[in-house]
Amino acid sequence: MKIEISTITDNKLIAYNIWKMKIDAPSIVKQYLGAGQFIQILVQSSWNSPLRRPMSIASVNNNEISIIYKIFGEMTRILSEKVPGDKLDILGPLGNTFVSDKKNAIPVMVGGGVGLAPILNMHNEYLSQNNNAILILGARSADEHFLQHDPDNGIYLSTDDGSAGVKGTVINAMDKYLDNFENIEIFSCGPEPMLKAVQQYAINKKIPAKISVESYMGCGIGICQGCVVERPNNNQSENSYHEKYSLVCIDGPVYKSEEVIIV
Amino acid sequence: MDLYTNPKRSLLSRISIKLGKVEFKNPVFVASGTYGYGSEVSELADIRNLGAVVTKSITRLPREGNPPPRIVETSSGMLNSIGLANIGVEEYINKMIPKYNNMDIPIIMNIAGSSEEEYCEVMDLVESVSSNIVGYEINISCPNVKVGGMEFGVDCELTEKLTSQLRKRTERLLIMKLSPNVTDISAIAQSAANGGADAVSAINTLVGMSINIQSMKSNIHYGFAGLSGPAIKPVGIASVYKIHQSVKIPIIGIGGIKSSDDVLEYMLAGAFAVEIGTANYRDPNVGNNIISDINNFLDENNIKSINQIIGKVKLGK
Repeated sequence: MKIEISTITDNKLIAYNIWKMKIDAPSIVKQYLGAGQFIQILVQSSWNSPLRRPMSIASVNNNEISIIYKIFGEMTRILSEKVPGDKLDILGPLGNTFVSDKKNAIPVMVGGGVGLAPILNMHNEYLSQNNNAILILGARSADEHFLQHDPDNGIYLSTDDGSAGVKGTVINAMDKYLDNFENIEIFSCGPEPMLKAVQQYAINKKIPAKISVESYMGCGIGICQGCVVERPNNNQSENSYHEKYSLVCIDGPVYKSEEVIIV
Repeated sequence: MDLYTNPKRSLLSRISIKLGKVEFKNPVFVASGTYGYGSEVSELADIRNLGAVVTKSITRLPREGNPPPRIVETSSGMLNSIGLANIGVEEYINKMIPKYNNMDIPIIMNIAGSSEEEYCEVMDLVESVSSNIVGYEINISCPNVKVGGMEFGVDCELTEKLTSQLRKRTERLLIMKLSPNVTDISAIAQSAANGGADAVSAINTLVGMSINIQSMKSNIHYGFAGLSGPAIKPVGIASVYKIHQSVKIPIIGIGGIKSSDDVLEYMLAGAFAVEIGTANYRDPNVGNNIISDINNFLDENNIKSINQIIGKVKLGK
């Protein structure tokens, strides 16, 4: 990991309230391991807001990384106002990656909200190696999507209002399209209700799944102990360390679906 | 010889400080819980330049800590309710202390407990092995758990008794870490001094709370949490000043330090050293930057030793 004063090369709206920023960050790219990893961005230099913000890496090309974000609060609003040439203090790459555990399985990549960033990243990494992959993206309506529903190429969209792809959630899309496949493995990132539903889907269908979880984060490097998620073990003792709670920043953000409790 | 001919060495000596028998090459320490056990940040910062590292609070047994959410950012600060998640003293002795023996930086071990016996037992266990730990900082001020020692930190008699029990057990530096969540922090500092402490560090976090108005839920699992960061600096400065005015004990200033200006402010109020906390989360290198900025300040103002400014604040117009 490195702290790098990077340079923004592009920052634009790609769908309804969904922004994509490209950042020239050669020393972070050098250490990059793969889809799933994230960076910690110091959005502004004022100490009114002391902490960095974690953002998944959405792509890596040459010396450039990209992130995808929604304007959600003050920090993401400031981020959206940055222009090419602006400097950005980032820490990374952090965390682990999406890794397949199942040989010859077709990966099904399921993303929603800004959780689609690492999912898109993984999808592009697979395609660039000429591997088959299925991509399922969920949103509230068509204007939040920036890809087309394209079943012939393994890209399936869902929308709450039915304005693009399957009406309903990503689970409705999975129900509709995945039953024909024999050997699949799920990778997912998105809002907590979606992850919970994907977890349940994977249990019901006995499909292995990995999910990337979001957490409020302090340092991003395992020191502050702030970003924990609970592990589903039977250890009721308080007198252990790192068994009941896992640190998202260094143990995650990608977990086997059965190894993390989504609240 | 080197000391006089090597400009870098002589610069260092100008900002070096002494507490008891221990000399620190500068007054910039990192606070407990904000630098892990000392080795985690090695990829991002050269920790050897720091005055000292205060390691994360250690209890007798390991602790998982509190359920999430544990942290949230607030205006110029953050709330944390980690709940003293830590590896426990046995693993500290087995895994960390051997590392410290190879690290070229003074380590101050922070201890937390729920009873006098627990504090004493942890210290006895550490004292029974050979280590190059230079001292102990005793956390009697964690607001987030019952075992945080808070009942000691708000009570003069308990503070004095605990301090004297620990004093009997070690010749290493004994530093009592004080809470701002009291009526009169200097009274607690006096009790620590009476018990034989070498120094006090002040302040630990202030009790705070934050609520999400959309979900109508507390942003922290247990509601109350500890407020840190630049938001609390004036409280820290006032606490150090108050203690310095009434108690003859060296003070380590803590609370919202992010720059050399902040360090100098704490020293003018009466601190002989400081600990950087929340700012480390943003940049683990902040301590190194502060140290070089302090040197620049001394140059510009023609001050021969950092010790000359301790407690030199003037009141009035």
